[in-house]
Amino acid sequence: MAKVKVATVWLEACSGCHMSFLDIDEAIVELVRAVEFSRSPITDIKEFLPVDVGIVEGSVGNTEEEEVLKELRANCKILMAWGDCACFGGVCGMRSTFDKEDVLRRAYIEAESNYDGKIPCPPGVPALLEQVKPVNHVVKVDCYVPGCPPDAETILYALKELLEGRIPVLPSDMMRFD
Amino acid sequence: MAEISLTINSKQVKGGEGLTILEICKANGVDLPTLCHYDGLTDVAACRLCLVEIEGERRPMPACTYPARDGLVVQTHTERLEKYRRLILELMFTEKNHLCAQCVASGECELQALAYRYQMDNLRYPLSWPSLPVDSVNKYIVVDHNRCILCGRCIRACDEFAGIHTLDFGYRGWRDKVVADLGQPLGESSCISCGACFQVCPTGAIFSKVSAYKGRAPECEQVMSVCPICGIGCEIRAYIKDNRVVKIDSPDLTKPRGLLCNRGRFISVQPVARRVLTPLQRKNGKLESCALSEALELVSARLRETKARHGSSSIAGVVSSQLNNESVRAFKDFLAGTVGSKQLDSLDGDHFRLVKQALQLSRTKKGLKGVEISSLEELLDADCIFVAGANPLETHPVAGSYIVRAVRRNGANLIVFDSTENGFPYQATLWLHPDKGKEALALKALIKVIMDGWLAGESAGTKGLAASLKDIDPADVCKHTGLEYHDLNAAASMLGGGKKCIIVYGQGILQYKEPELVSLLFDLATVCEGKQRTSSTLWLKPGGNSIGLWEMGVANEGEFSISTLSRNKAIKALYLLLGDAQVEVPELAARPEGVEFFVVQTSFMSAIVSQADVVLPSPLWTEVSATYVTLDGVSKHVTRLVRPPEGIRADWELINEIDRRFKK
Repeated sequence: MAKVKVATVWLEACSGCHMSFLDIDEAIVELVRAVEFSRSPITDIKEFLPVDVGIVEGSVGNTEEEEVLKELRANCKILMAWGDCACFGGVCGMRSTFDKEDVLRRAYIEAESNYDGKIPCPPGVPALLEQVKPVNHVVKVDCYVPGCPPDAETILYALKELLEGRIPVLPSDMMRFD
Repeated sequence: MAEISLTINSKQVKGGEGLTILEICKANGVDLPTLCHYDGLTDVAACRLCLVEIEGERRPMPACTYPARDGLVVQTHTERLEKYRRLILELMFTEKNHLCAQCVASGECELQALAYRYQMDNLRYPLSWPSLPVDSVNKYIVVDHNRCILCGRCIRACDEFAGIHTLDFGYRGWRDKVVADLGQPLGESSCISCGACFQVCPTGAIFSKVSAYKGRAPECEQVMSVCPICGIGCEIRAYIKDNRVVKIDSPDLTKPRGLLCNRGRFISVQPVARRVLTPLQRKNGKLESCALSEALELVSARLRETKARHGSSSIAGVVSSQLNNESVRAFKDFLAGTVGSKQLDSLDGDHFRLVKQALQLSRTKKGLKGVEISSLEELLDADCIFVAGANPLETHPVAGSYIVRAVRRNGANLIVFDSTENGFPYQATLWLHPDKGKEALALKALIKVIMDGWLAGESAGTKGLAASLKDIDPADVCKHTGLEYHDLNAAASMLGGGKKCIIVYGQGILQYKEPELVSLLFDLATVCEGKQRTSSTLWLKPGGNSIGLWEMGVANEGEFSISTLSRNKAIKALYLLLGDAQVEVPELAARPEGVEFFVVQTSFMSAIVSQADVVLPSPLWTEVSATYVTLDGVSKHVTRLVRPPEGIRADWELINEIDRRFKK
């Protein structure tokens, strides 16, 4: 049987979901028999190729993340969101409660560690969006694995469900937001 | 309650008339999700999660406020209702900033648990990301509006459980939020920090600073016990993790003594500073730690020596009224029995003797009977409460809450009689502020007005009292005491018109040490008694176990009193048993002259400790199981919550050990 092709990205995130995925330990041996990783921070492949499953960690906070997410969506059949940031906005979304300009000024000028700070601006760096969004507010998402980060077992459960041909919906007792 | 029969989810169930559909569902095992409902509080149908479909109703109705009727046909879990419930949860999550990963309530949050139950793994609505304040001015309680779902539980708990009603909704529409008083920070409001609000909060919107992030309830062992701090004897539930008290809350807020106060909830959860952890003895003028056996041997040897040289009456003991019965009993047995000394007193012994004298004065001189409240709960249905020289909201907050509840629920009149304090600033009906030192005169005038005016002819059997007041001219008294006559008259009308008067008194009256003044309070209670009218008094005792000590005869009238200690040259050895009381003892500000040997048994380093020859470590109340007596005379068993630090033993064990060595 042909291997299932998977691409993963991390957007506005801490990479914790990917780390938690690697915590599946020896189960990864079994997994790679059925799965082939395409573009992913783990493989370090940079270009998007058509895949069966796209996985996204993190929320959408700037124009680049928006673009990457849309490109992933265009190249995958099923899109799965990992973690509270991707599902709900999460900790990365906390900056949305402040004015964008205030956030930038605080970080690049007022922060105690700065010396002669300047606010970086496009085109050198992607522009921040006014507010951080969960991924399903930008593209269509097929399934969700919330958690901060989701447990390795929960991630594995969701992947196995996909391999079995089902769209995973976490049962109540596997749900975690922390 | 007439029985009714209705159909819930095609099943025939029975219930009582007057119950809500939610109550009948609960009684029949139908699990309806709720957030704003809390057992014991008025239902307000704010969260809309308990919506049910009722035949004949055009739209879903909230089960928590819908009165059940005979023959109703109810559906509780239709596809439409379940869809609405998930929708409501998503709206709650998108309205405020709910970030479970960094929330103190995660793992014990009712909102989160419902989101899990409804498998809410994404949000379909735009997030609002409102910019909301966090109020952390209060010493113990934080209000984080980011996590508030506006269910109103805290507001109702503040109103109905505590009776204080500091919290309410402020603003309208999407600006709606929970506010204290008129928008003050909680720490600057009328809040008494009883903590009922955060105990009922379904999310992490209101939480305790001292318990935050120390451990979640499911990870803790729960121990039921009783708080011995102020003598009210509230039942508590302690959460223990790694031999540490993580949280104390009320096992049932609806119970009369289920409220708890800031001390009960927070003091024993806070870290303890300056603890005495080993025995200390004075060597070359300095206190140095030593082995327990060495310290015990030294104490028993020096006491034996003192007895041999100066007689048993040269050895005196003073005990704090925070101590449990077992320790006090052991202490008394040792001192009175083994040593043979009658020189025993409690730190509040003077107050006990003062009130006893006052009662006798009131009884014998004027032929009246003393009347003491039988239970604290009587406050709840009093219709006139006279608070003299006491500030219950500060010293005994649960009693204070009872008084406030009587005012707000029964419309009771609350009269505050105090020369200095302005107790019950938000609740009192009337303040009487006599000049300092003129309290007795003012009380006499008040009694006179009641006897002559409001209850003329009714106060039978008080002729002796009437005679003693015949020279009092109330109008004239007002000129000399700083009172207004119309205030005095108003107070008299409230007391004279009350069906159930309670006179509450405390430190502010006792501080003068005048039996005559205190006896006037009993006189006042007596004149307020009559046909179909009762009256009684409540003394807010100073210690958590004052009654326990006094019942044991620790403060009986004898030749020894803590207040005369500094002049008593006959005392050569002094044993001060403080336990975990954190008190200042002005009488012992300096080491009494003539005392050659001074033992202090205590949990904390203090100025007194620095004068001692030997210091023995005491456990905290949380570290031993023991009995106490409440201020209304009920014996309570306090269960140990945590193990004491290595080497610390119960106070009575040390005393028994000294006793054994003394006899050798």
